[in-house]
Amino acid sequence: MKKLIWVCLLLTTGFAGVAQKSRDRALTEYLRPAVFSLTMVMVHDVVNPPAASRYYAYVLLGAYDLVSQHNRSLIRPNAFVRNYPFGAAAGDTGYDYRIAAAWSILETGKVMLPSGFMLQEEEKKFLQLLKKEKWPQAVIDRSLAAGRKATDKVVAWSKGDHYSLLSAKLRYTPLKKDSTWYPTPPAYMEAVEPNWRIIRPMIVDSSDQFMPPPLAHFSTDTSSEFWRLAKEVYTLSKDTGERGAYEKTIAGFWDCNPFAIQTSGHMMIGNKKMSPGGHWMDIAAIAAGVKGLDFDHTVEAQTLVAVTLMDAFICCWDEKFRSNRVRPETFINRHMDARWQPYLQTPPFPEYTSGHSVISTASAEVLSYLLGPRLDYTDNTEQLWDIQPRSFHSFREAAEEAAISRLYGGIHYRDGVVSGQVQGKAIGEYIVKRLQGAGVQPLSLY
Amino acid sequence: MKYFIVLAMLLAGRASAQSPLFQLLPAKETGIHFSNDIAETEELNVLSYEYFYNGGGVAVGDINNDGLPDLFFTANSKPCKLFLNLGGLKFKDITHEAGMEGRPNSWKTGVTMADVNGDGLPDIYICYSGKNAAQRGNQLFINHGNLHFTEEAAAYGLNDSGYCTQAAFFDYDNDGDLDMFLLRHSVKKIDNMELASHRDEQDPLAGDKLFENAGGHFVDVSKKTGLRQSPLTYGLGIAIADINKDGWPDVYVTNDYNEPDYLYLNNHNGTFTDATASSFRHLAQFSMGVDIADINNDGLPDVLNLDMLPEDNRRQKSLQLQENYESFQLMTGQGLQEQYMRNMLQLNNGDGTFSEIGQLAGIFATDWSWCPLLADFDNDGNKDVFITNGYLRDYTNKDFLRYWGDYKIRKAMDREPVKLMDLVQAMPASMLKKYIFRNNGDLTFTNMQAQWGINQPAVSSGAVYADLDNDGDLDLVVNNINSEAFVYRNMSSEQGGASWLTVKLAGKGGNTAAIGAKVYAYAGGKVQYAEVNPARGYLGCVPAEAHFGFGATKTADSVIVVWPDQQRQKMEGVALNRKLVLKEERVEAQAPPMALKTVFSAAAPLIDYKPEGFGDNDFKRQLLMLFMYSRTGPVIASGDVNKDGREDLFISGDKKRPGMLYLQQAGGKFETTGAIVHEDSSTVAAAAFFDANGDGWPDLYIAKGGYSLWEPHTATLQDELWLNDTQGGLRRSEGMVPDLSANSKSCVRPCDYDGDGDIDLFVGGRVIPGQYPLTPESYLLTNDGKGHFTVTTTPFQHIGMVTDAQWIDLDGDGRKDLILCGEFMPVMVFLNTPNGFVDKTSAWFDGSQPGFWNTLTVADLDGDGKPDLIAGNMGQNCCVKFSGKEPGELYFADFDHNGSIDPFFNFYIQGVSYPFVSRDELNEQMYPMRKKFNSYKDYSNATMKDLFSKEELAAAGKLTVTQDRTMCWLNKGGHFVAVDLPVQAQFAPVTRVLAGDFDQDGHPDLLLLGNHSDNRLKIGSIDANYGCFLKGDGAGGFRYVPQPVSGLSVKGDVKSAVNLTVDGKKYLVIGASEGALQFYREK
Repeated sequence: MKKLIWVCLLLTTGFAGVAQKSRDRALTEYLRPAVFSLTMVMVHDVVNPPAASRYYAYVLLGAYDLVSQHNRSLIRPNAFVRNYPFGAAAGDTGYDYRIAAAWSILETGKVMLPSGFMLQEEEKKFLQLLKKEKWPQAVIDRSLAAGRKATDKVVAWSKGDHYSLLSAKLRYTPLKKDSTWYPTPPAYMEAVEPNWRIIRPMIVDSSDQFMPPPLAHFSTDTSSEFWRLAKEVYTLSKDTGERGAYEKTIAGFWDCNPFAIQTSGHMMIGNKKMSPGGHWMDIAAIAAGVKGLDFDHTVEAQTLVAVTLMDAFICCWDEKFRSNRVRPETFINRHMDARWQPYLQTPPFPEYTSGHSVISTASAEVLSYLLGPRLDYTDNTEQLWDIQPRSFHSFREAAEEAAISRLYGGIHYRDGVVSGQVQGKAIGEYIVKRLQGAGVQPLSLY
Repeated sequence: MKYFIVLAMLLAGRASAQSPLFQLLPAKETGIHFSNDIAETEELNVLSYEYFYNGGGVAVGDINNDGLPDLFFTANSKPCKLFLNLGGLKFKDITHEAGMEGRPNSWKTGVTMADVNGDGLPDIYICYSGKNAAQRGNQLFINHGNLHFTEEAAAYGLNDSGYCTQAAFFDYDNDGDLDMFLLRHSVKKIDNMELASHRDEQDPLAGDKLFENAGGHFVDVSKKTGLRQSPLTYGLGIAIADINKDGWPDVYVTNDYNEPDYLYLNNHNGTFTDATASSFRHLAQFSMGVDIADINNDGLPDVLNLDMLPEDNRRQKSLQLQENYESFQLMTGQGLQEQYMRNMLQLNNGDGTFSEIGQLAGIFATDWSWCPLLADFDNDGNKDVFITNGYLRDYTNKDFLRYWGDYKIRKAMDREPVKLMDLVQAMPASMLKKYIFRNNGDLTFTNMQAQWGINQPAVSSGAVYADLDNDGDLDLVVNNINSEAFVYRNMSSEQGGASWLTVKLAGKGGNTAAIGAKVYAYAGGKVQYAEVNPARGYLGCVPAEAHFGFGATKTADSVIVVWPDQQRQKMEGVALNRKLVLKEERVEAQAPPMALKTVFSAAAPLIDYKPEGFGDNDFKRQLLMLFMYSRTGPVIASGDVNKDGREDLFISGDKKRPGMLYLQQAGGKFETTGAIVHEDSSTVAAAAFFDANGDGWPDLYIAKGGYSLWEPHTATLQDELWLNDTQGGLRRSEGMVPDLSANSKSCVRPCDYDGDGDIDLFVGGRVIPGQYPLTPESYLLTNDGKGHFTVTTTPFQHIGMVTDAQWIDLDGDGRKDLILCGEFMPVMVFLNTPNGFVDKTSAWFDGSQPGFWNTLTVADLDGDGKPDLIAGNMGQNCCVKFSGKEPGELYFADFDHNGSIDPFFNFYIQGVSYPFVSRDELNEQMYPMRKKFNSYKDYSNATMKDLFSKEELAAAGKLTVTQDRTMCWLNKGGHFVAVDLPVQAQFAPVTRVLAGDFDQDGHPDLLLLGNHSDNRLKIGSIDANYGCFLKGDGAGGFRYVPQPVSGLSVKGDVKSAVNLTVDGKKYLVIGASEGALQFYREK
């Protein structure tokens, strides 16, 4: 009889275990599409790269704050994010904090994004998922309320980061020198976020803390370093052979241009893609899956990447609008070939340093710390845009490729890429140091 | 009986009032079955060929010389059609018999008719385009009479196989035969605007061409003519006219996209000069069709260009508008001139310049427009306007631009392929009503769509007018895409209409229709002018005749024909209501031109000074303002600094040089001295010479202002007093002027207001930089007798954004009173009483009239000894209009609490007040608005109530404007009475008014100067004023004097204008914000 009871107990706990595992997996696996749904809203709204990084940071921080309240092994965000409001750890609250965290991701997106209302569809899908996994309604209700509270908290905190002051700032006027940035064809869009340096960073101290090495001095002298750099962009673009095709594939993979305009006579259409930050958020999710991380650590990994993106964009944009460097397209059209067009569309902001180089390198540093310097994964984030997946052996390898891709795309000089990597590495290493100092451990032993 | 008569009259009256001027005739009645059917396929659509929707044309000509005009239509891909006029408004399709379908599987564009071989029968020339080279090659169908044509383009040398739009036949070298101008277009829009290098290239397929008729064979002489043939030409419209009335035909070519139009003036020697930049201040951006005719009966041909601006707010808010200041600067910096997206009516001033008055005229917004036709449709003696419009696919819709990307992603997510045709068909399609405007005879037009029966929607392209039934009124024929052509019968003659005259000329030699002849019709004290030039409109041609209406007049006093060889022929007492056919004979001697003694004559500069452009863009600082405030100079003040009896000048500087004194020497030279205020650290807004410290020597007060990046309460905005050093120079004083740095100033007016023997000052406050439109401080500075000034409290110290003031004793009590004006302010009167200043505006004026007033001038205009008043205002040549019934309103507050003021202008459009701001600008100014309106469509009908709550609006500041006209008031003792000024006074903002007897006839005249170019791009540069001279009759009436008679051709935004006597001669010195100082000698 006892045996029967034991067997029954085992079976029920087994079943319960299986059911619980199923729920765990469902929630964990939901994190990637949850963040991706926000990415899709940002694509719809044509959110620019720095602004996108800000949304990711707040959205994930709200969720991470909740998770770390319940999982004592996770470091509270106020330990490493400056001035993050403290909140006591929570006890047994009658809700599932993971549901609440996932819900807060969607809710924060709904509140902060201009077309956040589009997330109502996604929220419906999430609730259906919960029903399918047979969560009790009472738990669901309490969890959603807790998620909403987490959203309110992080949104309130976000209002202090000076974002609202941007619309009161002087708009950008291009300096009228041959060496300085000017809007580029076809749409000659105005400079994007010229005042982004005033945004409060999360971990680094100030926007100019990691100024890159100085850029090559502008010159129209054909024997100068700058001319050589520009010529390299032009020459690479002219390669129609196998090497050229390879380079263009890479450029297309890391294009990440939220709004590339295609014209035909009077008609203009905008082709939309996710931003560089969106790309790395998805890489973080892929890597967490490869590593088999549980829900809590997946949130942690994504949060730390998001926060890194935020700071990296602030530092990169600080330099861009200090050096105001002219883009290759403008220089080449004026001095080498009036009809030349880069393979990628030149984004609307100054050249030095390359945004992708900075943020990819910084993100790779942090991910390497968390998940190891070697990790084989396949990046299929761009499949929606008919771009074939690419496989990497490490985050740093991906970041290297992302950086050099900007030269292949014809939108950066080599020094803008290389200095961007230097800047990104310094930012990433600093963030890792601060995380270590706060007690954030790597998420896997390697 | 009486009852029945009255009833009958009422019914008759109602009937004629109800029946519209035009009646649309159905195809089954006329027999004109024609539709330009276009089928979009994967291979052939707007993405593969950018001009896929540009439509076809109509040509009119009497192909069998039976006196009835026949019609030819081009269809882009279907066969063309030729209709023979059988009379009685019945037509027969004779395309097949005549062999006139055109080449199969080809893309046909424009068509024209002309007697190419000089045999008296009009031939037909069809243009071809499209990407397939094998299917291009224009065709020339030679008319052999009896409805028989043969295609002979190759034999004549006219089978050009480039991308052709239209051709025009005219005699450019005045040798008696018809030559041909071929208008072509590039098929690839070049996005890169740094294209100076391309402009000298020669594109073999796209550049325009000129063919000289050499004894019946046409030779391409383009290379020696000076025509632009670069790959940047996108020729859509062409009109031929003798624009400068020198006896040689000129050519006007329109260009799409960023390329400006070309006004080719004939040099008489086989070459042309592109005079666009010197003739026009700004152009239409996406110019399509063009017509050239005299719209104000002054004998000078005017130009009408079309563009794409819709009339209604909803469509305007949905479109790609111009808001990018950098790309606009790139365009103007490349010499592409200022171009704005709206119809342009360029009024010929007769001196080589044109004043663009499309907005004053009321015809500037007719949506995506193609063909303009200027003709007298109601036969009242003034030329009216007919405009075709329509678009098959609205791909300028901003929702389409921004959100098409979502569609592609959705398809990708659903794993469905994205087809090109999906893209094409996703664009909204819309049929539009054509526009028809009646000329009111005063440079304004009234929309008569409803009353004249032109209200059928369609997608239209080419159109022509012609008297199809020979009853003396002009009918209309319109080529439509994917629907039946319109044939409108003009019912003017049937409705017991006005008198008319059609003149058909038989020319000499090969120019059998006397193309290029000019006809003048004099009747009822007016003159009407027409040129025989069928090439006008869009993709088509009108009859080679001149048509005139005369209203109630029964005879024309005279009709003068100037034949192409410049021989004049005059007929007197011409009976009307018939077709007058004339042969060239009865030659008279050429009338000698009259030598004009102008009122002013341009003089060589006495002072060589060209202020450098300021370059500041104030909209970068406050995104939603309508006008900029940085450019206040050059400021010019006159005074005799060294007391040598000769007037000297202070002229403010620019970013590269300081302001300086110009001391007049004997013999009319000027010597510069001093460095007074550096413009790189502050802006001089106004200056005045007066004796501040009572030592008998004139001192200089400098009021600071502008906008730039200046901050209130800094030294930048502090005014300065420079004291005369009695040695011919000035020395900056310290501590004599109180702190006046709270805001920018606008004016300084010296006056001993308190009668204590020393000179005090009124200094007007203009704007608080960075905080428009908060009210600035204005100051009454009282002099202590020794040049120390203190601020005296007055009721006008916080009155508004003051732009000008004048001290004048209005009530005759011996004390100088103060008149003020400003922005969002009325003209105000403050009487100077022993108890202080008292606001007596309501006593002196009928109703408060706040406007955008710029300047005040006081003078006795009617000789009654009382000072009268002229106030310069914004004028009526602007896309924003306002009145008492439909005021302009400005709501302002820091709505989003981010430390910056958010000003929202609202103006009435079609009876409803809408915010001026576009959705993009709104989202840029207030980030929270991004959540409020999810699409351009959502925002397109929004009013202020949709942007803000009732509470927010109630708590916000509000300013109103109700008067936009520059005005003149006569002082009737205690009260001002407005007098009408000629409409030319409203051509542009008036910033300076000078009063004086300039023409020395004993009566005071007025000179109005102005223009304002640094405005929002949607408003554009308002620059139609070249110096508006109004001749006074001594009783307060004024008449506009045309530019060639006044002698004035002032260009630029006038900031200062000063009378100056040099070497015994009187001069006018004018300072405009760009360009060298302009000098005119007065009579």
